[in-house]
Amino acid sequence: MKRLLLHLLFRWELLLVVAIVGVSIWSAHLSPFFFTRVNLLDLATPYVFIGLLAFGLTFVVIAGEIDISVVSTLAVSVVTFAQLFDHGVNVWVAAVGGLAVATGLGLVNGALVGILNLPSLAVTLGTLAAYQGLAFVILSGEGVATFPQNYLNIGGGYIRNELPIALVVLLGAALVLGILLHATRFGRYVYAIGSNREAARLSGVPASRVRVTVFMLSGFMAGVAGMTYVGFFGSARADAGQGSLLDVVTAVVLGGVDIFGGSGSMLGVLLALILVAVLRNGMQLANLGGDTQNIVIGCLLLAAIIAGNLIRAAQAGAIKPALLRLRRRGVIRTDDAPAAAVAAEFESQTPKGR
Amino acid sequence: MHKTKLGILGVVSLAAVLVLGLTAGAGSARPTKGHKIFFLPKLIGVNVFTENGKGAKEAAAKLGESVTYNGPTEAVAAKQVPFIDAAARQGYNAIVISANDPNAVAPALKRAQQRGLKVISYDGDVRKDARTIFVSPPKASDIGAFQVEWMGAQIGYRGQIAIVSATPTAANQNTWIKFMKQTLKKPKYKRMKLVKVAYGNDNPTDSAKETQALLRAYPNLKGIIAPTTVGISSAAQVLDQSRKCKAVALTGLGLPNQMRKYVKKGCAKRFGLWNERDFGYLATYVASLVLDGKLSGKLGQSFTAGRLGKRTVVKSDGNSPVVVLGKPLVFTRANIDKYNF
Repeated sequence: MKRLLLHLLFRWELLLVVAIVGVSIWSAHLSPFFFTRVNLLDLATPYVFIGLLAFGLTFVVIAGEIDISVVSTLAVSVVTFAQLFDHGVNVWVAAVGGLAVATGLGLVNGALVGILNLPSLAVTLGTLAAYQGLAFVILSGEGVATFPQNYLNIGGGYIRNELPIALVVLLGAALVLGILLHATRFGRYVYAIGSNREAARLSGVPASRVRVTVFMLSGFMAGVAGMTYVGFFGSARADAGQGSLLDVVTAVVLGGVDIFGGSGSMLGVLLALILVAVLRNGMQLANLGGDTQNIVIGCLLLAAIIAGNLIRAAQAGAIKPALLRLRRRGVIRTDDAPAAAVAAEFESQTPKGR
Repeated sequence: MHKTKLGILGVVSLAAVLVLGLTAGAGSARPTKGHKIFFLPKLIGVNVFTENGKGAKEAAAKLGESVTYNGPTEAVAAKQVPFIDAAARQGYNAIVISANDPNAVAPALKRAQQRGLKVISYDGDVRKDARTIFVSPPKASDIGAFQVEWMGAQIGYRGQIAIVSATPTAANQNTWIKFMKQTLKKPKYKRMKLVKVAYGNDNPTDSAKETQALLRAYPNLKGIIAPTTVGISSAAQVLDQSRKCKAVALTGLGLPNQMRKYVKKGCAKRFGLWNERDFGYLATYVASLVLDGKLSGKLGQSFTAGRLGKRTVVKSDGNSPVVVLGKPLVFTRANIDKYNF
């Protein structure tokens, strides 16, 4: 019982909530405007497109792959949308066009990784550059900014003058994708492939098809992010989304998704996104420059990876032997009480003569 | 249970250290008697904007206002928006901004205006309905024409030339290039042929690569115009290293401090810019006058901008209302040591 309670208490998601509360208190200390309802609701809107990108990427990472081309895919979908609209296509039809192109770019990634079995980091690094270039080919110059207000509302509008529509889009996407990930056969396949692709394949999971699909899903979500991006910023240019990859990957990894695949939750990613948004907002209120902000977010990403590894090592029971080895080598001194205690406990449990 | 706790402990303490560290480093704006002005450049860590910031602080000190200078590390509009929102939330009275995209920052600036903030754009303008007034560098038509003349004078008004610009989306760059092209159509410049506009993205590595590519692709190239401080210094470095300073002339917009050694080596005989410190000074002066209700942006209004003297609100290059900084400054071997920025 106590064990179960502790297990629940030390869920990653709970840690994120604690961190969000901590950063919020710090922010409130910096600005009296922080704890107003308008501010709290508005806080996340500039990060909605980052969240939508992160949600798509979550599937890819859980499947044991990575897709760093999402920001460029967003740019291509945005400029495609803008060109269609600029050439007289109805704005909503143009948006569907933008989504279709983004999904197509995801399919290209998926085919290279899932069918040709190429390493996803190299493939999507290539497409990161190629798609970015493509975006500038499709629409160079000052971009398009003449979209009708009823379209812009999906990114920058409010329900009852208070609740940002973009936030509703974000939460809706989290819900739908959460169900897809946690409560469908497809979702289970994604986890199975991420845990052990060979085992999954041998037990009848259509591995190639699922891997192609996760990249298409990631592309599609980059399209959704792009359409929301235009709504929020009211401007479609080829440099859309540039510089946001750090926040996207941070949201996924900080959300507790194992960078090696096989585990993670949509709720975790949503909470991590909120944490990144609150933290960035707090740093903004503290007048920290973009350079310092990037250092902090970068360190947070590293901390999340290290913590994730520690926890997995702990779950696999690898920490005690490691500490023991360190103590024997004299790396940890015997007056390091907690470590020594752990090591001693382990030693006492270890059968003699081993 | 010990083992999981250990990992958790690590994370929590890391988070705690992070938060504490941040609070300690937070340079929150001190309350002063005057107005609080948020000065938001396209990006920080670049000399020109640092100079603008110094000018802004100088004007603020004279006027009794307080200025916070801060911005993103990449020249991306999406990264300026959180700064705008934060400035509005923190109760700043005005934002002075050089925008990365005239449209993308407009919704955020309008939100700020709704909260009572005044918006003054400078250097990179924003959509007209999102600001009170634009403080313009020397007229875009002048900047374009001057650079073509500086180049022509060096190459005897004939031969192939190329442009190394910043990003393809930078509004000011594109306007200057447009005016350069118009100037090149005049009879005097007829025999100068623009062969390529390259984009170095205001990044030293990219700009150097683009310059090298130009030299390879156009062996008869006579000159390079780089209307960006990053572009011109990178191009000068490439010309210097590949020993092409004699064969290929260089001009554009550059910082005297960055260009001094190349001017002395003869790699850039003539280039220009405006006084970046004065630019920040003027923009902040205008912000202060707008906050005091002494300037509303009506055409023809005039005022005294401290040590810069009298200025008038005009219509410039189709933009209205605008306060213009003045004519471009020209730097040559003879005068470059007089300037330190």
